Formats: sequence, structure tokens, C-alpha cells
Amino acid sequence: MKLRNVLVVALLVLLALSTLAPFLWMVLASLKPLAEVEELNPLPTVWRPGNYPQVFRQVPFATYYFNSVYVAAWVTFLTCLTSAAAGFAFSRLRWPGRDRVFQLYLATMMIPGVVTMIPNYTLMVKLQLLDSHAGLILPAAFGAFGTFLMRQFMISLPSALDEAAEIDGASPAQVFWDIILPLAKPGLLTLAIFTFMGNYGSFFWPLVMIKSQHLRTLPVGMLYFDTIYGRQTNLLMAASVMNVVPLIVLFVAGQRFLVKGIQLGAVKG
Amino acid sequence: MSRRGRRGLADALPFLLPNLLGFLLFTAGPVLFSLGAAFTNANLMRSVPLQFTGLENFRMLFSDREFHLYFLNTLYFLIGMPVAIAGSLALAVLLSREIRGVVVYRTLFYLPSFTSGVALMILWKQLYNPDFGPINAAIHWVSATLRLGMDAPDWLLSTRNLLGIEVEKVALSARQYGLGARDAIVIMGVWTAVGGNNLLLYLAALMNVPTELQEAAALDGAKPGQVFRHVTWPQLAPTTFFIVVMSTIGGLQGGFEQARVMTAGGPSGTTTTLSYYIYTKAFEEFRIGYASAVAWVLFAVIFALTLVNWKFGNREVAE
Amino acid sequence: MRTFFGLALLALLALGGVAARLRPRPADPRTVPLVWASDDNPARRDQIDLYNRRHPGQTLSLDPNNTGLEKVVVQSIAGVGPDCFDAGEGSLSVLIAAGIVEDITDDLARRGIVIERDTWPAVQSIVLRDGRAYGVPTNAAADAIFINKAMFREAGEPFPKTPWNWNELVSLAKRLTVRGPDGKAKRFGLLVDWNSWPGFVIQWGGEVFTPDGTRCVVDSPEAIAGVQFLHDLIYVHRVMPSPVEEAAIAASGGWGSGVITQFGGGRKAAMAFGGRWWLCTLRDRTQFPGLELTAVEAPTHAGRVFHGYGKGTFVNARSPRKEAALDLLAYMMGTEYGQLINDQADGLAPTRAVCYAPGYDRNPKFPEEDYNAVWRATLERSVPNKMSPYVNSQAANRILTRQMDLVKNDQKPVAQALRDAAREVNAEIAATLERNPALKAKWLAVRRAADAKAGAR
Repeated sequence: MKLRNVLVVALLVLLALSTLAPFLWMVLASLKPLAEVEELNPLPTVWRPGNYPQVFRQVPFATYYFNSVYVAAWVTFLTCLTSAAAGFAFSRLRWPGRDRVFQLYLATMMIPGVVTMIPNYTLMVKLQLLDSHAGLILPAAFGAFGTFLMRQFMISLPSALDEAAEIDGASPAQVFWDIILPLAKPGLLTLAIFTFMGNYGSFFWPLVMIKSQHLRTLPVGMLYFDTIYGRQTNLLMAASVMNVVPLIVLFVAGQRFLVKGIQLGAVKG
Repeated sequence: MSRRGRRGLADALPFLLPNLLGFLLFTAGPVLFSLGAAFTNANLMRSVPLQFTGLENFRMLFSDREFHLYFLNTLYFLIGMPVAIAGSLALAVLLSREIRGVVVYRTLFYLPSFTSGVALMILWKQLYNPDFGPINAAIHWVSATLRLGMDAPDWLLSTRNLLGIEVEKVALSARQYGLGARDAIVIMGVWTAVGGNNLLLYLAALMNVPTELQEAAALDGAKPGQVFRHVTWPQLAPTTFFIVVMSTIGGLQGGFEQARVMTAGGPSGTTTTLSYYIYTKAFEEFRIGYASAVAWVLFAVIFALTLVNWKFGNREVAE
Repeated sequence: MRTFFGLALLALLALGGVAARLRPRPADPRTVPLVWASDDNPARRDQIDLYNRRHPGQTLSLDPNNTGLEKVVVQSIAGVGPDCFDAGEGSLSVLIAAGIVEDITDDLARRGIVIERDTWPAVQSIVLRDGRAYGVPTNAAADAIFINKAMFREAGEPFPKTPWNWNELVSLAKRLTVRGPDGKAKRFGLLVDWNSWPGFVIQWGGEVFTPDGTRCVVDSPEAIAGVQFLHDLIYVHRVMPSPVEEAAIAASGGWGSGVITQFGGGRKAAMAFGGRWWLCTLRDRTQFPGLELTAVEAPTHAGRVFHGYGKGTFVNARSPRKEAALDLLAYMMGTEYGQLINDQADGLAPTRAVCYAPGYDRNPKFPEEDYNAVWRATLERSVPNKMSPYVNSQAANRILTRQMDLVKNDQKPVAQALRDAAREVNAEIAATLERNPALKAKWLAVRRAADAKAGAR
């Protein structure tokens, strides 16, 4: 038994190192002068922590940071709320046409997103949401993915719960908020993490939608370091490291909540 | 509609509407628009008059050599999918034991999903460096220790691949057999996906598996392998279904970021997937109609595969 | 759960307050806001600041666009594009066909600007079509040979005397290429960015398209010879790195920006074939400490002709602020902007006269750059690589790049690759003409005139 555990731990450590190593390279590259980034020695010979404040000097990095986090936070909030509600409707309630509509949702996920960009863009222009936070938030907040995910999670919860609650006279809203949603917390949290990560790194849509400097998000802002005049890889890496930090924080915090949610959650069955 | 049906609808509407409205406006609407465009010669250039062309776009793409090549590339990138999913599941099982520092492991495994875009691509170019990158260094070392005398592959610079697909026509040839750019991207995809979203999904699902069932089976004398196969695995079915469907959909639509940022679709078009092809046709050549047609053919393939998945995988586990 | 979502909503609304605070005070409503879509780099910022100082009634801001025409076209077609934007050689046909640019020859003439008279000939085709101007060139560039002085000193080689030819360069490069005992190169004689291949075609007397643009002729014997020479630099003379060897020097691969950093930082090549705009990056002494450079005119083969290139700035036909936009273009044709470009080494100023002003040859901030005359002389003898107006430039470029990749990787003989490229590009032209009847009529008329002239001779 002991040996098995040791082997498992060894395997996990090995895998964890393989995912950590490239990130370490990134951090080290962010501390090098540009001439050394291309060198194959991972360690800098001249340490340049000054690259980090340099990033802030060359672009309004704090503003970009705020925009990325703000937009992603709104998208996550809206997605979680509406997808959970819709997932509830698709999994725990019966109504005519339910499965047909769900198949429509599924079908739209299978279209490569690239072709829908132009009609979406024209729509934004008509709604005068161009060059605004709303224009970045709204198209991203109502995709089919979240609903699909929440429906799958909620389907696996026992239906005896709903029936018991209905007998007790609970309205659908109460069943949703007080019974199903708490149980679906792991799924909800997972959706939140997916959505935030996905939206935070979105590049092409903010590129086309945003013109003003104060609304730019991080991926677009980092273009500054990557032009035909030469890629300032070290600064780009510094920007990327800073880019990633809130994601890591969110992820670690989210995990604690995930565990707590399970421990405090309802008894199953 | 029966009285029951009407009441059902009335109950469901307040939950459904917010998401449905947004969905219709921002997702379904544009999709329908592109469906219409696929039957026209829609072009962003005003100089080309808009005409209904019926099935002309589809006829063109079936005889388009580039379409066939890129379709093959797109299918090729699905090779890593079963490996990635199995890897995620295995990791989830390992991590759901009582191990110290689970949070640390989970965060480390998820790291590849955080770092995206240009930074990650530059990173991987370093790793795949044929002469000094760590990957080839490891291969050299293994080859030397075991005296295999293998030559390390050229990865991103090579048009070779595991199946020996030719560069300019849809055919196999021994000359192209090896490890090249396509395989480099497949490996990159697996590495990113194993510790990523699928791992989280499986972890969440494993938490929901009632331990009483597993304990009962163990008490009945079942070995851990059997417990997994007969108790845990079926409980994971909805999640597995979700993961397989999403991975298929995502995989067939993927390759866009890598092509755009890392390889420019090369070398010689070997890492161009249909997604990237659609993008170039729509945004560089402005031929929206043709791009939409290609997108809808891709849709048809994805739809067919999803239907297959649905038949085999969709089950409601309510008890 | 209700409380959780409720609190989240409150937090987001509070953040919304912060977002509102971040909105900059609206620019003075009396000024005209002007948007210029161009790539974001330090030089661009200075150019914009200078413009705003000179035009207090306007506020020019940058819309960053490093990635190509997609963003500009999509935005402009929806009616919300930038007032001005940059585009390179070959983009003009697309822009005209999309209706995004319009003829501004008369507007420019009113401001005393005549493109044919004032700018370098090599960059005029970027903005001229049938003698009418749709924009102005933003800058001009041509490639010469950069020399790493320290390496030449080490090798005991004197700087080459110009004019010289490519064979002489090959001998020099061979002497400068140093290989280790394992055969791996420690230092290469020359670095060339493969995107410069049209330069070789031009120097060997060939061209990519016929002058009237109706046909692709990259399979002519001259063009094949030119590309063959470039290929042989790697695989026969072995003075230039192959793609694999290039990756061994520096991990960022060969797609453009890598060559500059390889040359400056990698210290693995003694010479490089590049333009003055490389100095924008290479001047940075914190990133490239101890780099000593000079430049000499590039060698030639069949006559002293070079490939000139650059970018153009265009006015958006749908912009409601055309007069202000034209002010920006006029500013670019002026002396102050020209001198700024020369000082920043963002290529050379688009206007010829400015490059002969005293400030060009010696920049007091960079006294070691005593070779500025080389770029000017090269540009005098440069011709553009004209793209055909009968095909989408990006489609054509994709075809050409794909074949060049195969040549670069030594996977296909040069002659066959170029013949396939010509065939595919001509097929693409035919397909484009089929889709666009008006364009086809024009093409037929041009061909008939050309054939008639050929017959008459």
C-alpha cells in the first residue's frame, strides 16, 4: 500500500514538473535583457527585474488589466446565472419543445465561431455597442456551452429531491435556488472558471470591437510588444506573467471554495 | 397544448428566457445569417454584386484541393483526443484520493490553460527547437542510453507526420513518415488538455459519485478495477458524454490559434485546419459566402459525429 | 445562493463605477478627434505627439493594428472604421474594391502635394492606381548589407568595396562562416529573411507579375535563377542557415521579426540583408549591448537595381472628418515628419527631398551611424515589387509563401516550385475574374491592348 502511494506521488510530481517547467521558463525569460531571450541557457546572466515596471511605463498596463478582469467578471456572472437557470429549465422541468430547443443549442455550438463574427459585428454596430464594455460582454455571455454544462450536471442529481420539495409546496423558484443550485455548486464553479479563463484571453473580438485606448484588454494591449520591428520577447513575457497572476489566484481561491462547497453541501440521495 | 404543458411552460419561462433571448440574438441569429450566406456569393467587396448561387459554393469546395488537404489536417488533430481524455480521467482518479497538497497539484496541472496566446506559442517553439530544445535533448539522451541510434525529429519545421500524409496532395508516402509540425501541435494539445478543463470536470463529477455505492461494491468483494468499471464509470457517464462531445466539437473547430500565431498554417500548409482556412477566406479574401459554405460542411461533419456520440452516450442518470 | 449572486452583482456594479472613473475626460469638444490605425511602436507615439502639437484643433489617437487589413476592412464596411489607416504594397486593389478608399489626387494637389513628384518612385505604386492617388506613402525602405564590425575585425576582413556582385559576397561569406568540428556552424556569413525573396527575383532581371499585372511570371528563367541563388546560399554555399539551423540560433523561428533579433542578439552572423528600419530595434543599447554596425550597398547581379518597399497611409472614404484626415496625410508629406522618420530610423522619409537635407546624413544622437548615405543611394535605384490588381494579394501571397516554404526546406526543386506557384496564381486570377465581371472586362481590354502592341512590333 505504502509503495503504491509513493509511486502515485512520484508520478504526480513528475507530471506537475512538466507543466511547471515552461511557466518557469516564461518567468526567467521575463527577467532577461532582450539579447539573451534567444539564448538557450534558461538563466539570465544579467537580471532585469526592471522589465516589469518597464511594461507599465510603455503601455497603460493597469487599465488594460482592469478591463480584462472587469469584462471577464461580468461575462462569468451573466453566464453562470442565466446558464444555471436555463439548465434548470432543460433538466428539471418538463415543457413542450424542450428537447428540440436544446438540440438547437447544441447545434449552434458546432458552427465555427469565425463565420458568426461578421453578422455579430454588424449587430453591435446597429445596437451602437461598438467601442464599449457592453459590446465585449453581451455577445460572450449567452453561449450554448454554459447551458449545456449546467444541464448535464443537474441531470445527474436525483429527481427524488424535486418531488419531495414539490410535495412540501415549494415553487419552482425555491426548488432552483434552495435545493438544486447548492447541489450543482461544483458544476457552477467549474463553469465560472472555464468562462473566466476563456474570456480573459479572448483576442480577436476585442481587437475588432475596441478602438479607444482606455477600453483595451490585455491581449490587445500586448500587441505593442510584438511588431514587425522586432518582438520584445522579454517584456512580452513579463506582461504575460502579470497577465496570468489573477487567473492563478482565482483558481486557487476557487478550489478552496469548491472543496468547502462539497463539505457543506447537501447529503446526496 | 395540454393544461399540464401550459403550466410546464409557464414555470419554465422565467428560467429560460434570459439565456434564450441572449442566445437567439447573439448566437442563433448570426448562425442563421451565415447559413444564408453559404448559398450566395457574399463578398465584403462591394464590387462583387450579391447573387444567390445555390449549391455553387458547395460544388466548388468539393473540388477544392486545399479544402481536402485542410480537412485531412483537421481530422488529424483529433488523434490526441482519446489520449487526452483518458489522461484527464486517470489524473482525476489519482487526485481524488487523500493526497497532501491537492490544491498545488491541481493548480500546476492547470497552468498550461492559463498561459495562452503568443506567450505559450513562443514557449513551445523553444521547447521544440530541433538542436537545443529540451524535448529533443531528452530524446537524444534516451536514444544514447538505450543505444537506439534514433534521429530526433525536426518538429515544427518538418512536414512529416505519423501517418505519412503528403504535402500537396491527399496521399500517403513513406518519405513523409516521421514526426513533424502536425504531431508537435497534437502533443501540445494533449499536454494542455490533460490537466485542464476536462480534469476539473472529472474531479467535480467524481465528487458527486455516492461513496456508499463504491463501498457497497467493495464489501461485496469487488476489486478496485471492477469497482471502477461497474460503479464509478457509469456514474461518470453524463460527464464523459459531455467531455467527448465538447472535445470533438472543439477539436474539429480548433487549430486556429496555433495556425494564426505560431505556424502561420505552415510549413507549407500542413498545420492549416479548416478553421484557419475559413478565417483566411472570410477575413483575408473577404469571400464570406464561400467561407460560410466551408463552415457549414464542417458543421455537417461535427453534427454527424455528435449524433453518433448521442446515440451511444446520452443517458439520464437520475438515481 | 441568492445572497451570493446578489453580492456578486453589487460587486460588479461597484466595479462599473470604477470603469466610469477610468473613462478619460472627453477630448476638448472643440477639437476634431482623428483616429489612425497603424502598428503600435515607440516611433509611432512620437509621430502622433508631434502632429497634435502642430494641429491644436485636432486630437489624433492611435488604434493599434499590427495584424493586417482584416480589422480595418471589417470596421470600415460596417461604417465605423478609423479615419486613416496604414496598408502595404498590394493592398490597394482590395481597398478600392471594398470601397474603403477614394481618389484624393485633387485634394492632395490643392495642398501642394504631387505623389509622382515628391516621393520615392519605389513606393508610389502602394498608393497610385492608373495615375490617381488614394493615399500617401508613410515611409520607404530598401535592403542593404548590415555588417557586424566586431566579427569582421576578428576575422581580419576589410569591409567590402561597392559596387560588388553576389558571387563576391559568397566568397566573403564563406570566409566568415565558421564551423565547429562537428560540422555545426558557430557563425554564419549571412542572414537573409526569406520574405526578401522578391529582391532576388528583381535583381536577376525577373518579376513576379507582368508590368500590367495581368499574369504571374514568377516562373520565368530569370526569376527561377534568382530564387535558385537564394536557395543555394543555404544548401550549396552553406553560408546561410537552413530553417533548422536558424531555429538552432534562436528559438523564434523564421517568420520575420526573428531575423533582426538573431542578427543583433544571437551574434551568430557576420552580415545580414536588411533595411534601415532594423535600426529602430538594433539601436537599443540596453537590449543589444556592444553591437557595432555599419552597412554597405547590397551586391547586385544583372544591373544595379534593388527592391524598394514601404507602407502607405490612406484616408477612409467613409470618414466624416476627411479634411482633418487629409491634414494628417499632408503632415506626412511635410519636412518635419520626414525628419522625424529619418531621426527614428523608421526606414526613410517618404519624400525624397527630406532625405537630402543635412540632418539625414549625420544624426548627433547616433554619431556611429555614418552610413546613412547607403540607404539613400539604394533607394534611388529601387523599383517596387508590384502586386497584380486582378487578384487578392493575400491569396496570391499565400500561394507564393507555400511554395517558398518548400524551397526553403529543400523539399522541392526551385524550378518546379515556381512553375507550380505561377500556375496556381494564374488560376486564382482566373477565378477572381470569373467572380467579378467588371474586373474581367478591364483585364480583357488591357490584354488586347498589350497583344495589339506586341503584334504591331
